[in-house]
Amino acid sequence: MSAITLKNVFKRYGAVQVVHGINIDINQGEFVVLLGPSGCGKTTTLRMVAGLEDVSDGEISIGDGVVNDVAPKNRGVAMVFQDYALYPHMTVRQNMEFALRPMKLGADEVERRIRETADILGLSEFLGRKPAQLSGGQRQRVAMGRAMVRTPKVFLFDEPLSNLDAKLRTQVRWEINKLHQKLGTTVLYVTHDQVEAMTLADKIVIMREGHVEQVGTPEEVYTHPETAFVATFIGTPAMNMIEAHVSKGRLIANELTLAVPEHFANQVDEGQNVMIGIRPIGLHLTDAGEEDAMKAQVEVTEYLGNEALLNLHVGSHEMVAEVPAAKRVATGTNVYVRVNTHDMHMFDSKTGKTLAK
Amino acid sequence: MKSLTTHQKTIVYLLLAIVLILFLTPIYIIASSSVKPNLIMFQKPPVFAFTPTLDHYQDLFGMRPFAKFIFNSLVAALGSTVFSLTIGSLAAYAISRIRHKRINDLAFWILSIRMFPPFAVVVPYYIIFEASGLLDTPLALIIIYSTANIPLTVWLMKGFFDEVPRALEEAAAIDGYGLIETFWRVTLPLAAPGLAVSAVFCFIFSWNEFLFALILTGSEAQTVTVAIMSFWSSDAIQWGRIMAGSFVVLIPGVIFVLICQRWLVRGLTMGSVK
Repeated sequence: MSAITLKNVFKRYGAVQVVHGINIDINQGEFVVLLGPSGCGKTTTLRMVAGLEDVSDGEISIGDGVVNDVAPKNRGVAMVFQDYALYPHMTVRQNMEFALRPMKLGADEVERRIRETADILGLSEFLGRKPAQLSGGQRQRVAMGRAMVRTPKVFLFDEPLSNLDAKLRTQVRWEINKLHQKLGTTVLYVTHDQVEAMTLADKIVIMREGHVEQVGTPEEVYTHPETAFVATFIGTPAMNMIEAHVSKGRLIANELTLAVPEHFANQVDEGQNVMIGIRPIGLHLTDAGEEDAMKAQVEVTEYLGNEALLNLHVGSHEMVAEVPAAKRVATGTNVYVRVNTHDMHMFDSKTGKTLAK
Repeated sequence: MKSLTTHQKTIVYLLLAIVLILFLTPIYIIASSSVKPNLIMFQKPPVFAFTPTLDHYQDLFGMRPFAKFIFNSLVAALGSTVFSLTIGSLAAYAISRIRHKRINDLAFWILSIRMFPPFAVVVPYYIIFEASGLLDTPLALIIIYSTANIPLTVWLMKGFFDEVPRALEEAAAIDGYGLIETFWRVTLPLAAPGLAVSAVFCFIFSWNEFLFALILTGSEAQTVTVAIMSFWSSDAIQWGRIMAGSFVVLIPGVIFVLICQRWLVRGLTMGSVK
């Protein structure tokens, strides 16, 4: 059964349209991440699901019913805000109590839920403190706790980790992951951080300028990006993109020529303009004599410990190669690189859509 | 801040002393004169050592219904304060939250009401209140004081409401609260310092007001400021009563400010967002 369905949903502010008829289907218990650069409409979409923004057109359903005109409080959702939005004049306990009060539970039940949630989140010793007396990570957990005590049908997260430092972010990410496994509640999570998306999501919805670019598992969006945008957005460092055209079964990009990979052979027409996508990890160092070896000059070397990033000039093209750290070469050196054809992606230059079947 | 040199400190303390003398001397004169026997009240040079007397206070409360005037003043001042805070903070909240391109014009229009010189409107008010039978009632004063206090409250409170993050109200909306409950339980408590400041201004303005009270009240609703003025008649100026009355009048204002002061805390919204 679907937990949340967005059917042809539009959002306009006056004459400006920011969400252009998106369709998303979220299953019960699924962890779905809305991922995209800032301004892509992901937060607006989340806020429409929460009921904090009106839907201009289309339908949003939670569970069985359409909720377009249902007040936020009656949607059975709980939300963790980017800035936490803790009630500053209340203690941690009161923040949770406040979220429970409208449910009119017995005093014992309220106490049980607060204790249990505080235990899970490690907040028991902070129940008497006010938000101002807590660290960023603790506030973040209180925000989650306030959402959790209500045992909602759906959790909504609006970039919950963006105010935390890198180390804490990883830790809280694990906690969110564990919590989802334990509680099994449906989650809709907004972020612009692909690492969060890849590590947390059952399903990623990649958005761009108010459109859905691709919906898929983390593996699908990484290995089979449907558009050049998704290809470059997912993966660090970003996929190398080279403009080329097809001529006599070869791909011509200025002075470079490459064989059309076998799996694309039937997908391209003579003269067609394409974008070739090569992940940095798909560029390999090789010897001068190898077939399809391309001469490159190393502009910058970045040592990352296990591996190194080489910023290369391959003819007139700039590319990044990720190589084992042991094989890194000094800046300014000339090297030869080669691409495994099965590591290549191809997109239509005009539409940006993948040419893979 | 850089610590001050001895020289700078001397100047600062000197300036503070001048300010204090300016403000405290009248209060000293009032307080000391209110317990001075009539004979030495205006003696030159002033007498500092004398046996204090409570004659003026006994005179004040014994011979005239002075307590009633204080009560009238309290009713008018507190009534207007409560009314102005209620209407003013609700209006300020609306102005703070409604997104409309003309909303600032509306806010300015509300403030402009305060720019009327009281003298220009006192006669029209007299006619209105006489026609409506409200002349010489505390209600008339409450209404008039509120026309001055509401604009002030709206402007003060708008600033404080602007500071309360909307995300808190959104969180409350998702937690299950309606607009009014959210305002009452989340927004208003966080704007409490604004309420305290507004309350002090409203109360002091109403408590000290003289012109409208003089024109619009008679024996029934007369306030304490007018009553003190009446000790100054063509026959004699009853300085003892005036001084004792003035000192009594100071007290409620001071108490009120002290009560409100505990709400004048900064940084109430700290820790809510970010």
